[in-house]
Amino acid sequence: MTEITLSHITKIEGHAALHVKIDKGKLKTCRLTAVEGSRYFEGLVKGRNYHEAPEMTSRICGICSCAHTIAAQKAVERALDVHVTDQTKRLRKILTLGERIRSHATHLHFLALPDYLGKASGLDLLPKYQKEIERALRLMHFGNKVVHVIGGREIHPVAAQVGGFTNIPDPQKVAELLEEAKKLIPDTIKAAQLFLKLKTPNIQQGFDWFSLTNPEEYAVLEGDLKSSKKTYTQEHYLDYIEEYHTRDSTANFVVKDGKSFMVGALARFNNNRHQLMPKALALMKHSPLKDISTNPFHQNIAQAIETVHSMEDIVELLKEPFKEEKRILPTQHSGHGIAAIEVPRGILWHEYRIQKGKIVYCNIITPTAQNLLLMNENLKGYIPTVLDLPKEEIILGIEKLIRAYDPCFSCSAHFLKVDWEEG
Amino acid sequence: MKSTKPTVGFYSITGCAGCLLSFIFNEKEIVQMTKLVTIVSFPFIHESAEIKEVDVAFMEGLVASPEDEEVLKEVRKKAKTLVALGACAHTACIPGYRHFVPKDSYARLMYEKLHKIKTIEPGPIDKYVQVDFTIPGCPPNKREIIKSVVNLCLKKQLKNYTSPVCVECRRNNNRCLLEENRICLGPITRGGCNAICTNSHFECWGCRGPTDDMNLPAFIELLEGKGFTKRDIRERIIAFSGQKNPKVLEVLP
Repeated sequence: MTEITLSHITKIEGHAALHVKIDKGKLKTCRLTAVEGSRYFEGLVKGRNYHEAPEMTSRICGICSCAHTIAAQKAVERALDVHVTDQTKRLRKILTLGERIRSHATHLHFLALPDYLGKASGLDLLPKYQKEIERALRLMHFGNKVVHVIGGREIHPVAAQVGGFTNIPDPQKVAELLEEAKKLIPDTIKAAQLFLKLKTPNIQQGFDWFSLTNPEEYAVLEGDLKSSKKTYTQEHYLDYIEEYHTRDSTANFVVKDGKSFMVGALARFNNNRHQLMPKALALMKHSPLKDISTNPFHQNIAQAIETVHSMEDIVELLKEPFKEEKRILPTQHSGHGIAAIEVPRGILWHEYRIQKGKIVYCNIITPTAQNLLLMNENLKGYIPTVLDLPKEEIILGIEKLIRAYDPCFSCSAHFLKVDWEEG
Repeated sequence: MKSTKPTVGFYSITGCAGCLLSFIFNEKEIVQMTKLVTIVSFPFIHESAEIKEVDVAFMEGLVASPEDEEVLKEVRKKAKTLVALGACAHTACIPGYRHFVPKDSYARLMYEKLHKIKTIEPGPIDKYVQVDFTIPGCPPNKREIIKSVVNLCLKKQLKNYTSPVCVECRRNNNRCLLEENRICLGPITRGGCNAICTNSHFECWGCRGPTDDMNLPAFIELLEGKGFTKRDIRERIIAFSGQKNPKVLEVLP
């Protein structure tokens, strides 16, 4: 038996491992797992004051810190029956979209694009693709600025709190953001056109998807949950979502109705693509995503078009000025609350039980944990179709597929290491 | 022709990638930076299978698994200068708070106990290797990281800011949050962050670690006088930097 070990498939966020075993030309084992040191955030907030949950859980992920902050706030507010103002909802949405723009721009250009252009890394795209890289950096810069102006910091924002914001953003800076957002729409469109031109493998794998959905808007922070077949309410999530652990992974696996499913930009497109803002909608209609897609490689296209949408949406959300408001403080100090929100990589769940102001139970389910089982299944479906290709090409294909999901193993529990066994 | 540019490596162990992102988020300078130094390794952007010799290594993250310890020791061996990048490497940050939390709080989550993956007591990197310089903060100020890279490559002596957060906070004309009866750790926390949190009227949680000359008993007395319990005060101080603040455990056992 030949045994080949490849370590360090990079360009994903965090550390994971992939074990592949091929015997007599047949795929025997294929397991993708997370191998990051455990941090036990849900245990660390136990016994702490309810308002400390956002500040602490934000440290789960640097790339999605706004996401954890807001999900924690919303779940705590549901537990303590706090109803925030429309302005707070609007500010949270801007914060979330700002984070989405920088996350998508980073993933698409630095992690995914090098594969398609045959380069080892984002840095190797220079100097040939200087224009594209500079465009990506402009978008990242803008996303950062949004998070800084609205959230007070670029990473781990502090202005967003349970019940509202500590202060409203500086009107002068808001005006600058608005002007910059309008100017950047053409950049987002050019970036999307670039990803629409890239040749993606044409694989369709039958799978279910899951995202928030909202009749009022392209869902971000509010809505019910929707799969390919039915709609679910957030409150009873444990009736249909189940987590389980395996021997070799510090991330848990998640199933919906007992089966694997997809969350993220492609899942959001499958459910809500007709609610995109005009320029994003026009791009979608001339893309392979005009119909429902179960090609995981289309995730990159969905992210690219979603960046256009997010920029258009931010322009609208920044138009109305912000006024001074008092935060809404809870009048009750015990309760149970669940919040599901759409973050760059899919649905993020936070759940808290609070007694006399102290957290007694916390459960967090991250997007990557939800995608992990389907990623495994996709790999099992994909590898046998490419077994006659040279090994290097198979590995590149595997990496591209994994990266298309934009997994974040910091969130779910660190590197992707391929253990390759051939018999 | 052999390149004479200094070599820099960025590495990560258990953490959230926020400190690495902070470096990348110097969007305007990052392309320029690649002309001044050779970035040998950068997690998830530009990584190589082996840990190579470098002039300066920046390590993000805390030690939470035997693998973390192995990687850290290998990086230390290959680096002329090792920099602890950010709060996890410096104090073990929020994940290091587990050191102070009763085990039954997270026992439910210890599924790997049954399995192959090992978790060890969370700790800052200087518990395992010699650290030459620390860039504090969760995350550090992004300008601070890029300045450190340039200065280290020019072989300039690096200095840490030693005054408390209150100095910058006052300079920024912020309202004092202690006067608003909030547990703000500004008086006992190293500044250099330009008081970024208190600028947004959010209290300092001490992510940059304690100042060397803090008057802890007086600070605790002040907070107790405002009606806070010893437990609330203790838990707030140890959340980000308990492992670098042994005094607090003496005063508030």
